[in-house]
Amino acid sequence: MTRNRQPTGLRRSNDPPVLILTSLAAGPKHGHALAKDIEDFAGVALGPGALYGAITRLEERGLIAPLETDDRRRPYRITAAGSTALAEVVEDMRRIADIGASRLGLTPGALA
Amino acid sequence: MSPRRSEGLGLLWWYPPGWRERYGDEFDALMEDTLGDRPPTRRFRLTIALAGLRERGSEMGVMGDSIPPVDRARAGSLLVLCAWAVFVVAGSSFAKLSEGFRLADPTRTASVSSGAYRSVMVMAIVACLVVLAGMAITVPAFLRFLKTGGWPLIRRFVIRALLASVVGLSALTAVVGLAHTLTPAQRGGELVNHPVIWYYQLAFIATVLLLAVALGLWTIAAVVTVRRLDLTGTVVFAEAHLAAAAAGAMVLMTVATAVWWGSIASSAPWFLQGAPAGSAGSPFNVQLVGTMVLMLVASILAGYGVCRVTRSGLTLRSGRA
Repeated sequence: MTRNRQPTGLRRSNDPPVLILTSLAAGPKHGHALAKDIEDFAGVALGPGALYGAITRLEERGLIAPLETDDRRRPYRITAAGSTALAEVVEDMRRIADIGASRLGLTPGALA
Repeated sequence: MSPRRSEGLGLLWWYPPGWRERYGDEFDALMEDTLGDRPPTRRFRLTIALAGLRERGSEMGVMGDSIPPVDRARAGSLLVLCAWAVFVVAGSSFAKLSEGFRLADPTRTASVSSGAYRSVMVMAIVACLVVLAGMAITVPAFLRFLKTGGWPLIRRFVIRALLASVVGLSALTAVVGLAHTLTPAQRGGELVNHPVIWYYQLAFIATVLLLAVALGLWTIAAVVTVRRLDLTGTVVFAEAHLAAAAAGAMVLMTVATAVWWGSIASSAPWFLQGAPAGSAGSPFNVQLVGTMVLMLVASILAGYGVCRVTRSGLTLRSGRA
């Protein structure tokens, strides 16, 4: 079954947009801070090309927004729409993780 | 403001101007933070180049869904037009290569090769008419564009294409003049060690390249212009159907050319090598391989354009454009 993710464009857990939204859910960050945080919590090294490609798409869809700054290192924050979209993805992932845990005979949450 | 390091390294060049304007400074800062004092590796450069090209594709509407469906449909149709330009080069090469093949293929498979050849010619005429129809239905919008002061926006593209055409046609006139001083056998490639034949062949190749450049520049001018036209939904919808017809014709011509090649390769391989009739010969010919590759590339490009059009077309039909 394919779930329709057209409005937000979010798909898998290791998609750069999902990783960026997850990182920004903890607070605003600029590009380099985002890359470091994502590498820390997901073990995924996003290069500048992939990172800014995802930032561009997320900003176009209104899921993140830039903060005013005089610094060249412009921080971004997650928007309300971004939080909603991330919550949907996280719910999907949790559902799949629960099914996987159940089929493996693990207690839900034991994989964490 | 200090010059951007990524610009100095030629990395930002891959991105479209609008993107550079919006994200250039922060992207440059990220490069500084990522690289430090180290020079970028080849892999790093490659990933930036691919990301930049993806961004250009997205801006042009040939990738992603960041522009409205109606513009994505238009971009898909323009992709088919670009594919058609590539196909014209391949088709011209095939026309030159297949000259006089009927004389070299008198066996029972002649009907197969002749049928395939006729199919290519008929489909070429159909595709030409389709492309002309596609141009014709944009004329009212083009005239409105000119009346509202659009000419300066496209002037340099049109002038560049015009100059290339003048140079290409002048070269063609000179080559035709030179060809009239040669015997038919010399034009066919005999006496290859004679200096005049070398000059003729070099001039012929240069002329073909010049004409291909002119065709490419006209295609760019057409794309730049059509992207700026204010087309109605009906015209975009009609363009989408014409693009699908042109793409279908390209695929059929590619198949017919492959059939022609197979037929000639089995019945008269010497023709592909320019060798005397009845002699042994390889079924491979560098020009024909190049022609087939170009046709395949054009067909794939056109198919991709039609996919873009179709996806956007569905949205257009449902009234959500």
